[in-house]
Amino acid sequence: MSQLIISVGREFGSGGRVIAEALAKRFDIPIYDRHLITEIANKTGMSPEEIEKLNEAPNSRLISRRVRGFSNSIEDNIAEMQFDFIRKKAESGESFVVVGRCSETKLKDFSGLVSLFILGDMDAKIKRVMEVYEMNEHDAKSFIEKKDKKRKRYHNYHVHMHWGDSRLYDLSINSSRLGIDGTIDYLEKYIRARMGE
Amino acid sequence: MLAAQIFAVVIFIAMFLLIVWDKIERHYVTLGCGALTLVIVFGICMRSWSAIWNTIAIKEFATKEFWYQVTESESKGINWATIVFIAGMMIMVEGMAKAGFFRWLCMRIAYLVKCRTIPIFITFMVMSAVLSMFIDSITVIMFLAAVTVELAVLLKFNPIPMILSEIFCANLGGSATMCGDPPNIIVGTSMGFSFFDFLFNTGAVAGICLVICVVFFYIVFRKELISKHAEPVDMSKLPKPSEAITNKTGFILSSIIFGIAVVLLVTHSMTHLTVASIGTFIAAITLIANAKSIPELLKKVDYKTLLFFIGLFIVVCGLEETGILKYIADFISDISGGNIMLMVAIILWLSAIASAFVDNIPFAATMVPVIQSLAPIVTASGADQHTLAWALSLGTDIGGSATPIGASANVVGTSVAAKNGYPISWGRYCKKLAPATVIVLAVSTVYLFVRYL
Repeated sequence: MSQLIISVGREFGSGGRVIAEALAKRFDIPIYDRHLITEIANKTGMSPEEIEKLNEAPNSRLISRRVRGFSNSIEDNIAEMQFDFIRKKAESGESFVVVGRCSETKLKDFSGLVSLFILGDMDAKIKRVMEVYEMNEHDAKSFIEKKDKKRKRYHNYHVHMHWGDSRLYDLSINSSRLGIDGTIDYLEKYIRARMGE
Repeated sequence: MLAAQIFAVVIFIAMFLLIVWDKIERHYVTLGCGALTLVIVFGICMRSWSAIWNTIAIKEFATKEFWYQVTESESKGINWATIVFIAGMMIMVEGMAKAGFFRWLCMRIAYLVKCRTIPIFITFMVMSAVLSMFIDSITVIMFLAAVTVELAVLLKFNPIPMILSEIFCANLGGSATMCGDPPNIIVGTSMGFSFFDFLFNTGAVAGICLVICVVFFYIVFRKELISKHAEPVDMSKLPKPSEAITNKTGFILSSIIFGIAVVLLVTHSMTHLTVASIGTFIAAITLIANAKSIPELLKKVDYKTLLFFIGLFIVVCGLEETGILKYIADFISDISGGNIMLMVAIILWLSAIASAFVDNIPFAATMVPVIQSLAPIVTASGADQHTLAWALSLGTDIGGSATPIGASANVVGTSVAAKNGYPISWGRYCKKLAPATVIVLAVSTVYLFVRYL
């Protein structure tokens, strides 16, 4: 496997981003997450904060419309720009890790793709969000639900199959079972096996 | 009949909501709703085979009037003439685009005005309006917006004001002719109008409004267009118009075919060729001229839009056959109290407001039978019998400019801008284009009152 593309879908609070970063380090390849926002900000002249707000956000159906693949929605266009960006990177033969962005579907034609979905037990996710964002339990739970609802709507708008459906990914894994580090080790082994090492 | 009416209305409302919801592709929505209309409304409730047969209207193809029409006649059921014409024009436009015609035209005009920002701004607005008189506004804006962005980068100006003005003028230009915008084709083929009928009626006011718009957009956008960082233009660094031509023979042939299409459309009231004949002929000669690329050209035809039209016409027939549209006509007649001026204003502004938020094609298709029902009242009052048709065309065509979702050209233009790094929000769009729409509608209202009433 000359090209390795690791696509990481994740539930909020499952540690998906941290796992993606660790995998990028272990395989010594770049990660596209925050970088994508900077890239789009540079291209559009919008601030990274503005892009962040619209990033992985579903459009508002009542005020947006699609005509022959074109959309007036800024959210849709930002999503399309990110899909184009990762597709071009993949076409260039580069190996990388990409977080979210429907990448498990958008890059499915590339043989080097390993698609992962990281989920977690609600209790573990709440605990993690309480620590990272310094929130109480109630706020952490609603924050998780809000974020996941947004990701789900975004994903299901751009892709026909459902976000988190195991049939979409090579491997879906609950990070609460082995812990974040254990999950990273396990995924590394899986990816190396896929690479034929 | 009551059950048929209830189902016809429910299916129609469901179709509209599903189109707005945008989760299911709109051609599946209209075809699905069309099938329900045929089965439930006509088949189960009305038990009328003749209603189904009249709606499908497939026999139209076998009639001489479908291809050659000496006297004006109104059509009912699926408006096949509209569908055949749009399909033919789609094939022609694909041939032109493939040869590089649109990009060449844009670059040629930019060169003619020596690539100076304000002259480009003005000539592109006029070009957008003129091209949209004959070609669908989606194609016009797709190329014009892309070239505008390219020139903006090279000449260092902000392309957003120019793209917004082009969008507005494309919609305005589309209102000027029978083939400019789908609502006009529907109105024209349903009511038996000619190219010149539109040109002398909606075209006249569109021309006046174009002048007003050019002045308006110049005043509101000139500060944004003149860049502080602009440098003297070095024409040698800009792409040459000839570089846009991908195939010289194809370019010449597609230009000739476009010329033939314009001549046939302009003279169709004299030649008596219907728009269906013209569409078929233009498609045929485009395919013959591009014999090697026939599969490619046919593949690029937007079949989804054609299927969308078929389903839509069936659903509207459901409302018509069950008498619902007659109720709407009576309602408009009642609230206007027989006052023709008020009736014209209602049709114009209601069409405009509706078209600003929902697709103007279903609206126009629904309203055509309504204005046909109201025509005797208009004639009885001594006013021009076609006044409501012009009000409907102007309202649906121009109203769509007010918001980013009102017309297809708006969606395509804002999308091309965003994909090139110039996102246009609702606020940014409506701030200048909504007032322009209101100005044009106000001018149109005065025009309709003064000329026809």
